[in-house]
Parts: sequence; structure tokens; C-alpha cells
Amino acid sequence: MFYPLAGVRHQSYVSDSKLFPVPTDRNLLIVLTVAAIAAPFLLSSLYLNSYVQPWLIWTALALGLNLATGWAGQLHLGYAATMAVGAYAAVHAARFGIPWEFALLIGGLAASLIGSLFAFAALRVKGLYLAIVTLAMQFVMDWVLNHSPAISGGSHASLQSPRFALLGQEIASGRGLYYVALGWCALVTVFMMNLQRTALGRALVAVREKDYAAAILGVNSFYYKLIAFSMCSFIGGIGGALLVATFFFLAAPEQFSVNVSIQVLAMIIVGGLGSIIGTYFGVALILLMPGIANEIIANLTSFLGLPLGNETLAHIPTTVYGALIIIFLLVEPLGLGKLYANIRDYFLVWPFDQFKK
Amino acid sequence: MMGFLKYSVAAAIAGIVALSVAPPAGAAQPLKLGVCYDLSKAYTFATPQVSQAAQDLVALTNLKGGIGGAPIEVIVQDHGNEPQRGIECYEKLKREGVFIFDTLSTPVSIAMLPRVMQDKNILIQALVGRGDAVDGGVFGWVFPLGPTYWGQVANNVAYLKQVHAGNLRGVKIGFVYLDYPFGQEPIPILQTLAKVEGFELKLYPVPLPGKDQTSVWTQVRRDQPDHIISWLLAGAHVVASKEMKRNGIPMDKYISVNWLNEVDIANIGAEAAKGLKRGTNVAGGQDIPVIQEIIAELYKKGKGSGPEKNLKDVYYNTGLAMYSMVLEGARQAAKLHGTPISSATMREGLQNIASYDAGGLMAPVTVTSSDHGGGGKTRIEMWDGEKWIPQTEWIAAYTDIIWEVVRKSSSNYHN
Repeated sequence: MFYPLAGVRHQSYVSDSKLFPVPTDRNLLIVLTVAAIAAPFLLSSLYLNSYVQPWLIWTALALGLNLATGWAGQLHLGYAATMAVGAYAAVHAARFGIPWEFALLIGGLAASLIGSLFAFAALRVKGLYLAIVTLAMQFVMDWVLNHSPAISGGSHASLQSPRFALLGQEIASGRGLYYVALGWCALVTVFMMNLQRTALGRALVAVREKDYAAAILGVNSFYYKLIAFSMCSFIGGIGGALLVATFFFLAAPEQFSVNVSIQVLAMIIVGGLGSIIGTYFGVALILLMPGIANEIIANLTSFLGLPLGNETLAHIPTTVYGALIIIFLLVEPLGLGKLYANIRDYFLVWPFDQFKK
Repeated sequence: MMGFLKYSVAAAIAGIVALSVAPPAGAAQPLKLGVCYDLSKAYTFATPQVSQAAQDLVALTNLKGGIGGAPIEVIVQDHGNEPQRGIECYEKLKREGVFIFDTLSTPVSIAMLPRVMQDKNILIQALVGRGDAVDGGVFGWVFPLGPTYWGQVANNVAYLKQVHAGNLRGVKIGFVYLDYPFGQEPIPILQTLAKVEGFELKLYPVPLPGKDQTSVWTQVRRDQPDHIISWLLAGAHVVASKEMKRNGIPMDKYISVNWLNEVDIANIGAEAAKGLKRGTNVAGGQDIPVIQEIIAELYKKGKGSGPEKNLKDVYYNTGLAMYSMVLEGARQAAKLHGTPISSATMREGLQNIASYDAGGLMAPVTVTSSDHGGGGKTRIEMWDGEKWIPQTEWIAAYTDIIWEVVRKSSSNYHN
């Protein structure tokens, strides 16, 4: 009913592999895109720039990690390190006077290069061993940042990012920065949606499912793993640079520490490995939930007049947040994306579910 | 699918806003202090005591009629030591009329700084954040209100010079530090002072999180330094004390950074910790007028803001010192320009704090428009098995060397 399938007929492979076989999906996306574009005029600046904008930037980042982990099946615990490479490379380039368009590209390429270099070493091993090697990449990067003032901007100091500008136009307003984040996130999303229906995307999935089975089919698994790592690092590098340029306004080592890597991994696991919509949900839960839970609990206790100490008040939201993650994963181990897909599948045939497709 | 979530987030937020209780309409607009602290992750060894001190001090001040007739309100919120959530806290409270912020977290303070400078709000960052922020000429809206780690370590060296009757030549000083920016910060100052005073400096980096120091202390035993200056945190002091005992290094060689409290002493053992020294900008113990007043007016009447045992912790004194300075700044602002206080008048008020020691609670502080650190005085205290005994007056040594480093570092900042 909500997703009418009547009249949807595929007579060629091209039409079958369309981005939106069901017109409702496309229409829904159009409505949501319009809403996203109109958001600066609908939401207050607090929600726009402190919630929605970081959500979009982190979603683009998480999609990059999802490419390596969700699509190509390579566990990556050093993602924040590639973000750091991108951020520091781009900020240094921008401080040097290179326009931001190229600075971002330099950030992405630098991250891609270093990410692939590590991948050369890391891809000799698989599974948990790979996780540990990528974790090593994270620690190497932490150490480099903490011990080279030339990169990090001095002890306890931080590296300021020059004002963000695109096409010679300085972007400083909250709305402008939001649109930059939206544009980048949309670009990554469209890329990921299309990746799924290309030979490259299918090869990545083949490698994920069983790399030697893929090899038997003629898919060079080492080559595709390397591609996955370098693409993932490229998106991570540009994302890290944008995070600094449009949200933090400066780069500090703590913004790219090991817990950030784990956090991004948590985002895609909770959201759903290999799911784009799931990544959006996962980022929202991991990134925004602690703050929102904090606020709800604080308001609830003051509303009920409960005298709670500062510490208790800080720990309850953390507990709630942890419990939520467990509950969601118990209900649907494949993540929030699968939860959404279940609902959509239900409505695909509702109310005539006796005519299952 | 992004808009859908946006709406649900917006709806959730609308619900929260509806839930929040409107503040009671008072006669005077309250002065709001935004305390965005890490109450759940890395800084929890100090934040509960410090935030409790802030709330107690404000409650006491409000009992006496507030400042300039206006009450003061403390808003405490957790940011979990995440820059992202610290910024969220800042952006939210900013819109609720808060213009004085405190993070007590280096990463969050650093992340908040560009926004604070842009919005011309006040950032209090006692003992955290970038050290060069004491340069009020560059960081016009940031108030470290206390010693930098550079100043603190220089004062420690000045104390050792006193111990060695004014001559450090041939003395060997070891520096044990956590190998990340917090611990690395004093190194350039120590190296400069080693050249100036002619002492020998030995560096002993401790890998994070500081739980394993075995190799560090065997190296210390080999070198046998005359004194050990330690830039460790919380439990790492306890590990250090065990390793010192194992390697036969006496406790009285140990001079800690200000981050060592009664909990750590209890973990080391009050008797075993005898002779241990600590650099500090606040007086330890409860024998201080303002603490006695808080006990009498609040805790005896059951109006304290948390467990009374926290009062016995030196971090409580640290919190009192920080907020005494903030409230003194507000008092000066009210005196100069009346209420309601704005961020501009508050800044002027803070810059007018002169020789203020909060009734013997801390080192006398004089803040000026060029020095937002207040002079950077500290003293050395020694644990005698029961309490802290001051070993020096409040001193600020080698200030020209410190300011040279500060100016060099702050000149890299461009707003």
C-alpha cells in the first residue's frame, strides 16, 4: 500500500539494477532531500549546527569505514588515524595557502596513501589479526602526533584551521557550514549507493563472503582489499579534514584517539554492516544519544524533584545509552538498518501479505 | 533518509523542551556559570569534588545575598571528555544565557577555545588546556586563573635551589612524566633551567596509562637522581610509590605535580607516603575559614551539595579556589559596572582581581589584562604522615623565562 509494486516490471538487466526499483523509495528520498535542504530554515541554529551538522559529517565518515568493514569485510580499528592524516594534511595545506578544495583533496590523498601503505602490511593477515594490525596503525599515529610538534602544532597546543572557503567564497555562517556537510554526506551516500551495483561493489562483497571463493571466481582478493582500504581512507581523510574545518575549527590529537576509532566502528555495527540507511541511524544513536539522554534525564529528575548528585546524574544517561545499544542489538543483531528494512518489507506487501512476492 | 531522522530528532527535542521546567521568575537575573565537566570518564578523579566545591561556594554566596543583589546559578553537565559533547554543552548553555564556561578537561577546553574567542564569552580553564592562554593579550577571553605547568615546574626547581643553598650545579634531577602532552609540557622549561642553573636533567617517560612503570624506576635506580619531579596523575602516583619502594628510592625525593590527593595518599599508605612533596596553588586541609563556614552553614544544616567526605579532599580546595576567583571577578565586575553582569564586564572584573587569596585558601592572585594566570604562584607542601606542611612561601620563580616561552607559543595563535 505504501510501497505499491503494481506496474513495476523489469524487462532488462539495466532496469533491474536501477537504483530505486520501487518508486516509493525514490519519492521518499526526494521528499527527505527537500527537507534536508530546507532544514536551516526549519531548525534552530543549536539543532542545526550542534546536532544535525556533526551527524552528517560523522555519517559520511562512518560510511567510509562501512566500505571497508561492511562491504569488503575488513575489520578496521585504526580509522581515526586515517582521519587524523587527512585532517592534519589538509589543515597544513590550507595554512600554507592552498585553496580548501585542493587542501581537502590533499588530505584525502594523503590519508589514502598512508592507509594503503598500512594495508600492504595488514592485508597479509585476516580477521582478528587484521584488527590488531590496524589498531597498531592507530597507536603509531597517536605516537607520531604526540611526539612531533611540527605536525600537531606544539605541546598541548593545537593546530588552528584557517577559515573554510570554497570557490573563493568564505563560509563562516552556520547555514553555510551545514550545507557543506550536507553536500559531502550526500556525495558519499550517492557514491555508496551506486557502488553496490557496480562490478567493484560485487567484487568487494565476494571478498567479504569468502576471499578464496572469490579468488576461484577470478577476483583478486588482495587487490580488492587494497582498493577497499584506500577508498575507505580517502573518505576518512576528507571527512576528518571537514570535521576540523567546519566543526572543531582546530585539530588536536585527542580528536583522533583510539576511542574515536572504536566509536565509529560502534556506529556501523549498531547501524548495520553494509547498510547505508543503517549507518545514518547508527551514527545518530552513538553520537547524539548521550547528549539527548543526558538532557532527558536531567529534565526528568528536576521535574520529579529528585535530589541526585552530579555523578549519579552523569552515570544514568551512560547506563541508559549502553542499555539501548544492547536492546537494539538483541532485537535485531544485524543493526538498525535491518530493523528499518524489516519494517519496509512488511509494508511492501501490506495489507496483502498473502501475495508474498 | 536523512530528513526523517532529522524530524524525529526535532520531535524528541521538542518533547524535551516541553518537559523542561521554566525557571522561577526572580527579582534579579541570576549570573549563570556553565560547568561542562567530565563526570563519567577520564577526569572523574577530580571533577566530583571540584563541581561540588563550586556548588557549595555558590550556595554559600547566595545565602549571603549573591553578588550585587543577583543570585548565582551553577549548571553542571557531563561531557564525558568528548570534544563533540563539550561543544554541544557550550552551544546549548550559550543560548540559555550562560557566558562563563569551565570544562576542567584539556581536550574539551581546546575544542571550545575557538568558539569562545569568536563569541566573546569567558572560558575558565584552571590547570587544563593550553598553557600559553595566560597571555591575556592574545587570549583575551580565556582565563587560566592559576599556574601553568611551566610555572609550576619552575617553582619546583626554585624550591630545590633553596634546598641546595642556592646552587644546583652538579645536582641530578629526574623528571618522571606521562608520555603525552600533559607530561611533556614542562620539558622545554626544565631543559632551559638545566642550562641556566647547571643541574643535570634526566627524563623518564612513562607510557600511558601509567599502570606499568617497572622499567622506568629501574632506570631511575641506575641513575640515582637527587630529586624526582613527577608529572603523573591519580593512580600512577601509587604505582610510582610501589616501584620506588621496590628500588629503594626514598619517598622524600619525590615532588609531585598538583594532581595528587588524599585518595592517592591513602592508597600509598599515610605512613609510607611520609616525606612526599607536592607543588600546589591551594592550601591543603580543612583549617581554612571558607571551608569552616561551608561546613557550619551548609553541611551542619544538611544543605551540602554532595557527600561531606569529599571536603577532605584537596581537589575540593582546588575547586573552591577556582570558583572563589570566578566569584571575586564577578564581585569586581558588579562593583565597576553594576548588575546585570555581561561577558564584557565580567572580563574586566576578572582582570581587576588583585592580591586575592580567598582568606588563605590559595596563593595570592593578581590578574591583569596581560596576565590571565594571576601570577602563577605555587608552594611546595610535604606530607608528614597526617597532614600537609608547607615547605616554602607562595613563590613564582623564573617568570621571565616562563613568559618568553608563553609569548613564543601564543604568537602562533591567530584568531
